[in-house]
Amino acid sequence: MIQVNKLEKVFRIHQARPGLAGALRDLFDRQYKTVKAVDGVSFSVEAGEMFALIGENGAGKSTTIKMLTGILTPSAGEVVINGFVPYKQREQYVTSIGVVFGQRSQLWWDLSPMESFRLLKRVYKVDEEEGNRWLNRLIDELDLGSFVHQPVRKLSLGQRMRCEIAASLIHKPKLLFLDEPTVGLDVLVKQKIREFLRRLNETERTTILLTTHDVSDIEALCRRVLVMDQGRLIFDGLLGDLKEKWGAGTEVVFQFKKRTSLEEVRTALGAADYELVPENEYALAVRIPRSQEMLPYVLSTVMSRFDVSDVKVKEASTEEIVRNIYSATGEVMVHA
Amino acid sequence: MLQVLRLFGDYLSQYFKTRLAYRADFFGELVSNLIFELINLVFIVVVFQHVPLLNDWSRDEIIFIYGYFLIPYALFTMFFGFWDFNERYIIRGEMDRVLTRPIHNLAQVCLESIAPDRIFGVFSGLIIMGYAAIKLELSFAWYDLLLFVGLVISSVLIYAGVYTAIAAISFFSDSRTGIAPMIWNIQNYGRYPVDVYNGVIRFILTWILPFAFVGLYPSAYFLRKEEWYTYTMLTPVMGLIFFSLGLFVWNWGIKRYQGAGS
Repeated sequence: MIQVNKLEKVFRIHQARPGLAGALRDLFDRQYKTVKAVDGVSFSVEAGEMFALIGENGAGKSTTIKMLTGILTPSAGEVVINGFVPYKQREQYVTSIGVVFGQRSQLWWDLSPMESFRLLKRVYKVDEEEGNRWLNRLIDELDLGSFVHQPVRKLSLGQRMRCEIAASLIHKPKLLFLDEPTVGLDVLVKQKIREFLRRLNETERTTILLTTHDVSDIEALCRRVLVMDQGRLIFDGLLGDLKEKWGAGTEVVFQFKKRTSLEEVRTALGAADYELVPENEYALAVRIPRSQEMLPYVLSTVMSRFDVSDVKVKEASTEEIVRNIYSATGEVMVHA
Repeated sequence: MLQVLRLFGDYLSQYFKTRLAYRADFFGELVSNLIFELINLVFIVVVFQHVPLLNDWSRDEIIFIYGYFLIPYALFTMFFGFWDFNERYIIRGEMDRVLTRPIHNLAQVCLESIAPDRIFGVFSGLIIMGYAAIKLELSFAWYDLLLFVGLVISSVLIYAGVYTAIAAISFFSDSRTGIAPMIWNIQNYGRYPVDVYNGVIRFILTWILPFAFVGLYPSAYFLRKEEWYTYTMLTPVMGLIFFSLGLFVWNWGIKRYQGAGS
């Protein structure tokens, strides 16, 4: 359904010189810096998949999404989605996709969502009867009924976001792009949106592409994850594999009865491959990277030497994995 | 194209719906618009009382040209009201949304910034033209009405083309454009008989920024100034050429669009 091959986007950024004299020089001789925002990204996606694109700010996620949605023209490489080349056949292509930019609204500020939906139905030339049936289902499933006739500017962020999602689906697209759809929303609204998306994917086989900073979104929705860093795709695979590759490690949190310092624990454990993280004066975490015999050793040593009131063994969460990836690639950048 | 026309109706009804939501505002603006146009009318008549003959043009002829100019100008500002294009669509990134909808992006931008209250400008223009026509004792045939509509549309296309091309500069340069005010000043010259200017300005107003086709040349036909008829005939041609040019620059700019960071 989505075929992306060696996609590349280069931006030419004007470098302003400092000061007034610099500004004068800029008038006649401009300096440009080229920045590769997206660098040789390739992947393909089957119909009905739900996948996430993650990465730090500035990793090239948004630029990639904008090329996939036809907003930007790629500098090099190929994109074919639903049989269309997005930037070339834009007007036909966009009838087969829905787009939600979390930071931007597609609803008319002064109109009620219902009026916006009506206008969008005209824009997308949706069949009246079938469109209404579908819209009623959207309103019902996203629970918009109570505020669908109020002006958009009077809605809360959570209400508006649900309306945005409904608006992007008005023409029943086969592919839905969600760019940070849950930014700034409370847990309940997030939950509602996730449930809705999952059901949409199951019943309509809608392909969903998500970019997000919220790892719980990914865990709740996606099996497949793509990780971008500095314009490159550095991981493409299942969430489980991602955990194994970047997060194979365990964290044990000890709760002590007495005040215990880091040093005491360190001397008890001796020199080995682990990391100590203090939680508070009575608790600390031991991070053990990938060695299986280390866990019993750490457990038995600490338990025998100290008065322990509680022990928690935590497997690394996706959130930490993502943090690992980001910090690791950060180091790569420093060394390079 | 047909869809755009249908959507035009939808947008228009939405526009009035939002405007009517604030009833006091709506009537207030209606009244102030009317008063503004009235004052404008009085002002024009008074000012032109003091204008003597310009070359071979009588005062009433100049008033007639001015009246004609007001009509395409009002229509143009009604449909091409995106004077804040750079700010709203490029810097704030609204263009992203426009590009993900299945209608030509220029049409969408026009529809979104439509300003129906400019219709009063058309009425003023008609009144001024009527006034001058009576004074000049002009007579019209039935087909003059068709010609008039065609010429007005052509004039609007010229404005639209030039303006679209200027707005499209925003796609190429990320800074605010300072060219628009200059063009704005030049278009003012178009509403007076161009033969009062020197050759260079006349050339510019005819072929480079053809604002003479928005005032003088088309109205010359109704004033029965036969020496200008060739230019009158050229008005639709220039309209098509300049609008195509504007559209071309615009489409080219869309390809160069870099989007706003998010």
